[in-house]
Amino acid sequence: MNAQEILHTIKLSGHTHGSLVTLESVSPEWFTPLCNRLSAEFKLPLSLLYATDDRKEGKGFGIHVLFALDASHEWLLVETTLSEENPSYESLTKTIMEAHWYERYAMDMFGIKAEGHPDPRRLVHHENVPANTHPLRKDFAWNTKMEHANEPYPMHHIEGEGIFEIPVGPIHAGVIEPGHFRFNVAGERIITLEGKLFFTHKGVEKLLEGKTVAQALPFIERISGDMSASHTLAFAQAIEQISSVTVPKRAQELRVLITELERITMHTFDIGNMAGNGTGFTVEAAHGFRVKEKIMRLSERVFGNRFWRGFVVPGGVSKTLSQEELLDIVKTTKEVVQEMEDLFQLGRHSDGLRERLETTGVLAKEVAVAFGALGLPARGSGVDRDVRRDHPYAAYAEMQPEVFTFEKGDVYARWKLRALEMVESMKLIEKICASKNDGSVRVDVHVKDGMAIGAVESWRGELLNVVYVRNGVIARCVPRDPSFCNWALFGAIGPGNIIPDFPLCNKSLNLSYSGTDL
Amino acid sequence: MNSFLLTLVQFIAVILVAPFVTGLVRMCKARFQGRHGASPFLPYITYATLLKKQMVISKSTSWVFRLVPFVVLATTLFLVCVLPLLVFGGAFVSLGHFMIVAGVLALGAAFLVMGGLESASAFGGMGASREMTLASLVEPAMIATFATFSIVTGAFTVDAMFANAHILTSPALIPAIAALIMVALAENARYPVDNPATHLELTMVHEAMVLEYSGPYLAMLEYASAVKLTIFSLLVANILFPMTLAVDATLVAILITIAYMIVKVIVVSFLLALLESLIAKMRFYRMQEYMTIAFFFALAGLVFALIHITL
Repeated sequence: MNAQEILHTIKLSGHTHGSLVTLESVSPEWFTPLCNRLSAEFKLPLSLLYATDDRKEGKGFGIHVLFALDASHEWLLVETTLSEENPSYESLTKTIMEAHWYERYAMDMFGIKAEGHPDPRRLVHHENVPANTHPLRKDFAWNTKMEHANEPYPMHHIEGEGIFEIPVGPIHAGVIEPGHFRFNVAGERIITLEGKLFFTHKGVEKLLEGKTVAQALPFIERISGDMSASHTLAFAQAIEQISSVTVPKRAQELRVLITELERITMHTFDIGNMAGNGTGFTVEAAHGFRVKEKIMRLSERVFGNRFWRGFVVPGGVSKTLSQEELLDIVKTTKEVVQEMEDLFQLGRHSDGLRERLETTGVLAKEVAVAFGALGLPARGSGVDRDVRRDHPYAAYAEMQPEVFTFEKGDVYARWKLRALEMVESMKLIEKICASKNDGSVRVDVHVKDGMAIGAVESWRGELLNVVYVRNGVIARCVPRDPSFCNWALFGAIGPGNIIPDFPLCNKSLNLSYSGTDL
Repeated sequence: MNSFLLTLVQFIAVILVAPFVTGLVRMCKARFQGRHGASPFLPYITYATLLKKQMVISKSTSWVFRLVPFVVLATTLFLVCVLPLLVFGGAFVSLGHFMIVAGVLALGAAFLVMGGLESASAFGGMGASREMTLASLVEPAMIATFATFSIVTGAFTVDAMFANAHILTSPALIPAIAALIMVALAENARYPVDNPATHLELTMVHEAMVLEYSGPYLAMLEYASAVKLTIFSLLVANILFPMTLAVDATLVAILITIAYMIVKVIVVSFLLALLESLIAKMRFYRMQEYMTIAFFFALAGLVFALIHITL
């Protein structure tokens, strides 16, 4: 069923722009029932919920919910306007689980109350942030110095004989970002597990407001170091849609090239890291990291930096690639994928390793759907979603990458999936490097006012970026990293496992702290 | 005088070589992984550096926390004195009754556990609970192993067992030696039981208990682990090659036994590193299976030995 048919069934009409269908100004009392109906009756996955502060335009606060229509490659955006004095609406989380973090986020950042939210605790703000601080409201200056408060930030707690609470982090033994995890355990068995993130809030969303596109680009590239190409691409796509720019064919292909290279880089790391560091099968880690270095050096040779930065720009890509560079890319990628394939086979034939990976950290399909899991964890549990196929962008419509899924949903499924996806990425890269398309790779972008959504399947999963441009500058930018949706999965994956297997579950998701903690 | 000299030689040689064994295992592992690895002599420098460092001790700890490194180090040094590592017939071999050996090992483990609990940190407690689980599984396997040796050789001290000529002639000892190797891996917190190189606090056993120690106390605890690893490496090697041990305190015999010792620790370190590179660490809940296999190997040896002597 496509968006028009759905709207016809529910007797509403929307405003269509490209693949985005918008239902503007739904009245607040009808907003929640409508979203519930779209979710329950039409089984539309809730992809994003975000708030806007439109008080300057005299429209109070806006709540926007984005549903994905995978089959017809469309997006359905439902919007409502809340009053300035009492911004509240009936919580969606009561019936649509996927909304839970988004609503808590809006409560912290905008002070928009989701009435009846089953878990209305703070999310972004820790104890030290005073009550009624809502940084994303337009009247909050980015450089406001806050008092050191001591507000409650309770975490799940269980009492009983032999139940222990284990706090872990925010400082960890490895070189990773800060995150606090609270385990309630009986012996070694995990009963509940909850994360507390947002220790290094950078205020990216706030900082982007009022910036021009060119000024904003470096911020977007640095949201999450391991996904800079994907984040930039989602942002660039949104800007191009707003400005009605058509990107040249060759640039579209080169955009596929760089995001697939990014995918191979991180899958290389993860295959080594999961099998090696997660289980102590150290040979995998040592060689995986060596191979990853090869591909990062490829990035340095071709793009002048190790993180696939600076290539994707609004309007296309920053430079055309010479024949030698393309040959280098194909050669190095082949080498890397073959070496990783060998390592993968080595691990697959180690009984001890498989014993560790199989049946560990199982994510049931219903849970994945309920939490709105994205990317690898979702596909590992049988949720067949991939933006590259479901909402094609760049040159993916013609290239039609194969999407793999597994049913088991354990760490082993996620590990195998990475190996399969890598080979598929290599095929795409070979096709692009052999492509006869050439010509310009960049067109000028004259930024117009408007809003658009950019969607990219990063190596972690579906990445969205909603951009509003007003008067030539960014009025609101919502980069939604897939990690934001996947962090809560730990609460579902962890319990039932034993504590020493948690690092393995963690590595199998490999989520970005920085991408979540904007 | 002769026996006292032999013990002194063994004591000095073992405590000098111990850091090298730890360093060598690390280097071999690095080489197996395709890394260059640090020099095998690095642990000497590490311990020396730690000795110079200031200690940070939590206010919530009691005197037990400070006592632990001394007891743990003392237990391993006691074992160096009573076990046949380089020489037979040392001065204190009569103290090397296998029940005493097992008891002293358990004493060290118990104090380490107390040290882990003392700091009242989550990781220390977690490591302590795991160590106690393992200790209760290791103990029966170890006693059954030595009981087998004892029945075959008719001796009760480890020294006399190893020196007995029958040590390699009884088929009962094949499963017992297999059990001894498995016990040795578990006792020393090596694969597949524990990963001494991990940085993941949640998976640690031995490392979790020493997490709160720093400076000289940490040096003592790490040194004790190094000595313990050397003891078990030599024990396993000596049961297979008892002819490499010295019985006379002549200069030639001592030099030969020291040369043999170096060869033995190199071979054992290499094999240990190979094992640790070939397998993944076992899931913690598989430990009881691993230790049960060890126990049944030992028990099989014991049964064979009993049948053998009754026939």
